[in-house]
Amino acid sequence: MLAQSLADGILTGAIIALGAIGVSFGLQILKFANFAHSELLTWGAYLALVFVAFAGPGTPTAELSFGWQMMAAMLLAALLTGGLAWLVDLLIFRRLRRMGSHPMSLVFAAFGAALVMRHVVVLIWGHGTHFYTRELQIAIEVLPGVRMLPDQIFILGLAIVIVVALHLYLTYSRTGMAMRAMAESPSLARACGIEVENVIRWTWILSGGLAAMAGVFLGLTPQLHPEMGFSLLLALFAASILGGTGSLAGAVIGGLLVGLAENLSVFLIGSGYKTAMPFLVLLLVLFFRPQGLFGEKS
Amino acid sequence: MIGIFSYLVFFACIVLILGVMTLGLNLQWGYTGLFNAGVVGFYAIGAYAHAILVTAPRPDLIGNFGLPWIVGIAGAMAASALAAWIIGLATIRLRGDYLAIATFGIATTIQLVTLNWDSLTGGAQGLPAIPRPLSTWFGSPLGFNLFYLGLLIAIVGLVYWALERILRSPWGRVLKAIREDETAAIALGKSAQSFRLQAFVLGSTLMGLAGALYVSFIGFVSPFDFLPILTFQIWAMLIVGGSGNNKGALLGALTIWGIWAASGVLIAKLVPPAYAAQGGAVQVILIGLLLVASLLFRPRGLIGEVPVVSRHADD
Amino acid sequence: MKKWIALSAALVAAVALAPSDAAAQANCPVKIGGVLPLTGSMGPITKKIAESAQLAVEHINAGGGVKGCPVQFILRDDQGQPTVGVDAAKYLVEVERVQAFTGTISSGVTGPIISSITAPSKVVQISCCSTATPFTLDGRSQGYFFRTLPTSKTQAVATASEMARRGLKRTAIIYVNTDFGQDMTRFVKLALPKLGGDIVAEVPYTDNQPSYRAEVTKALAEKPESLLLIGFPKDAVTIVREWLSLGGTQKIALNNSMRVKDFVDGVGGRFLNESFGMDNAQVQGPTVDAFNKAFEEKYKYDSKGPGVHTQYDAMMAIALAMNIAKDLTGPSIKDAVRQIHAAGGATVGTGPEEYKKALELIKAGKPIKYHGATGPIEFDVNGDVTGPALVWKIVNGEIVTDHVISIDQMQALFKRIDG
Repeated sequence: MLAQSLADGILTGAIIALGAIGVSFGLQILKFANFAHSELLTWGAYLALVFVAFAGPGTPTAELSFGWQMMAAMLLAALLTGGLAWLVDLLIFRRLRRMGSHPMSLVFAAFGAALVMRHVVVLIWGHGTHFYTRELQIAIEVLPGVRMLPDQIFILGLAIVIVVALHLYLTYSRTGMAMRAMAESPSLARACGIEVENVIRWTWILSGGLAAMAGVFLGLTPQLHPEMGFSLLLALFAASILGGTGSLAGAVIGGLLVGLAENLSVFLIGSGYKTAMPFLVLLLVLFFRPQGLFGEKS
Repeated sequence: MIGIFSYLVFFACIVLILGVMTLGLNLQWGYTGLFNAGVVGFYAIGAYAHAILVTAPRPDLIGNFGLPWIVGIAGAMAASALAAWIIGLATIRLRGDYLAIATFGIATTIQLVTLNWDSLTGGAQGLPAIPRPLSTWFGSPLGFNLFYLGLLIAIVGLVYWALERILRSPWGRVLKAIREDETAAIALGKSAQSFRLQAFVLGSTLMGLAGALYVSFIGFVSPFDFLPILTFQIWAMLIVGGSGNNKGALLGALTIWGIWAASGVLIAKLVPPAYAAQGGAVQVILIGLLLVASLLFRPRGLIGEVPVVSRHADD
Repeated sequence: MKKWIALSAALVAAVALAPSDAAAQANCPVKIGGVLPLTGSMGPITKKIAESAQLAVEHINAGGGVKGCPVQFILRDDQGQPTVGVDAAKYLVEVERVQAFTGTISSGVTGPIISSITAPSKVVQISCCSTATPFTLDGRSQGYFFRTLPTSKTQAVATASEMARRGLKRTAIIYVNTDFGQDMTRFVKLALPKLGGDIVAEVPYTDNQPSYRAEVTKALAEKPESLLLIGFPKDAVTIVREWLSLGGTQKIALNNSMRVKDFVDGVGGRFLNESFGMDNAQVQGPTVDAFNKAFEEKYKYDSKGPGVHTQYDAMMAIALAMNIAKDLTGPSIKDAVRQIHAAGGATVGTGPEEYKKALELIKAGKPIKYHGATGPIEFDVNGDVTGPALVWKIVNGEIVTDHVISIDQMQALFKRIDG
């Protein structure tokens, strides 16, 4: 049972990690807590639904409950959600930045934007639930006492690939390096001739794309609804702060820890307190390391 | 006409209760720079402490002492102050966003405790039959609401006056100094940590007071009164009204709650009943747009901070 | 500063003033207020409930309205937040001057509305869906609160008896951690052991989470031979899918909320052939069929879903009581609510024609017996209804009625359990 919980925790954690990377970017590069980030997950999932409705989820291939069409839909949704994130920045956050607003203004603008984005989903797709595919898989025993769905194994693998790709991008590409420079010190980055607005645009597009993929993964297990992203918001923030903002590894480890804490807590203290668990772990970590696990002392 | 008056009295009571919370938050954020995202947790502690102290005993619950209203109010403030002190000791040194997520988590935990510890809190069923002060003296709901409004005006007036006095005192000036430049304040020999803790405790005590005032006005408390949305609403009130200004905090409470209530009325009037479900979504979209618009067009809030003690305070 | 206060006050006043001119002049139309969580986590469930209320209003108006006046139904959204719901209810009662009130779903919103608004203002409130037991029992409502759904006890006891009848052993309970889930679990725990079953695990869950694998894994740890799931369709789909894919049994008992196509299709009908569920009250018979038909004709989808039938009955009960009451004041309407099911009355059912018939009987001073979308509606001293229970099952993806547990059988069960 413990092994099963560990496996479940890692699965949940992988999805949280993908979303938490965007939150972490927001905190470190854009310098504010973007409460609208969870809505990008929702939008990504629903945009993929549009393509799936058009092309179908594809015939189940091998052990999976969906075909290549689903992956194509995910990529398209990631592109569009990246664009949506940039659009929101253009309409709201860039204007606030140019006005020299206090970061708290951006936080509450994000909160307002989240309300709007979430309920536009309700207006377009309705309150009800949607499915990419109604296939129900039976879990296979991957290790003694550990059962996983083939879809979940695929998601886990893909999440790892995405994170590695992102790491390479941040380490070697020009924009990636500029983003890291921005995270370290915006004024220094500007002085070095980095085009700040350009970096910010790419940050939004990347965050949106990653959020969309996390959203599609969420939708695959098993359904979509307008509050799907919102219900994950706090886990995302807990993960990104737990790891220490600004480091990719931090967000990923933070996501995994949150996933594990939720799943294991059900055994240790009962499921009534499950949703508080990520925070209690967070408090414990912050008590000993106020800057987060991988954060640098300020 | 009497109906509208009666509604406005009720509306004003809610605004004042929310205003007490916003004042508490203003002390923490506006004057001290503490990002407390767990407002609703202290509100819950005050609410339940009051309910447990004043409600008549029930055999199936521990607590419920049937004590007088004023004891409940004092107990609520004491309980939230104590909780804030303990929580503050553990978290006050965290910076900005980190303190926010930590306090948020604590508020979530407090809400889950009210939901799961049913022998004390009644669990999801809530605690009904919380006595409303002197309610038997009044024949009509309007009579009681008017009385309660008077009481609230007195309490809010007292809190406002006390806060203004405190903030103009040397203690208040130290708070602002810490907010503006912690290193400099420390260099001047002020222990930043302990001043921040004091402000945190005092602000949270006001939130607890608001919780007690709310349940003794409504007469019922359940865990569903303490969902995170309320924390966001209080923050929106402070930011829209004008952080760092107590008048702004109160005005923000009026404005945001006014938008919330009025948009509901507007939607019910304009949207045909067949589209009620969509109307609900449109109302929330409207609230979101108004919030964003007010930040874009009044970035410092309706009334910004007034530089009283320091030329640098006006940031 | 002054400008802003004046502006905000003007805004509030303008909105508040707008309706009063029309309302003050005449008694028509008769206003009924409603508060329901149209948005928020209950939004998906509420849509059909609101539509059902709307259908009832159409039937009432087509059948002659209330005391010669058409009925105007004003529905507000509580967003699942008590403060918002209380504000909306206060507005309806004071500014719109509604003479009766329906709502709401979450007990956390219904409770404060009773204690701070409808009971002090003496306005009748009928809820379709709030199950928390203290409302009606502690006298707080002063008799002004009614609900058209049986208390959780009926459903819980019926569930336990059906599980025992099917010989289900070693049951794991997964329940939503709200007043409804806590109440149901409490009564099932009381009843099941006395009827021959046993419970090996009890796992509460918090709604609206992306995954419930941890809860499911915990319930599975005890190797249960059957599952009782108490919750709402959206989360239940996730839970049952995870339960089945992790190797859980297909012997699943469900509560009334899951008697919807969305749930069955969401899980996949072929996995549910051994599942069964409960519904409270007699959700069958000619008046029920008439309602279902009317609903499907209007909205083009079926009427199955939590609260849909009980909401219709809540509206009809209000309208009939208003017609019976000697005047449209709260106390008169309150006393009339119980007379919609008077001894020796002629049976009246659902739909505009039946409503018209009821009005004629009332005008002639004759008693009526209302049989609604959930069968006969008779409020007890607490303002609750009791009724027979219905067992349903899923056959090839379709929800069908298995059998009915009659009122007499229910009473016998209660006796066995209460000792």
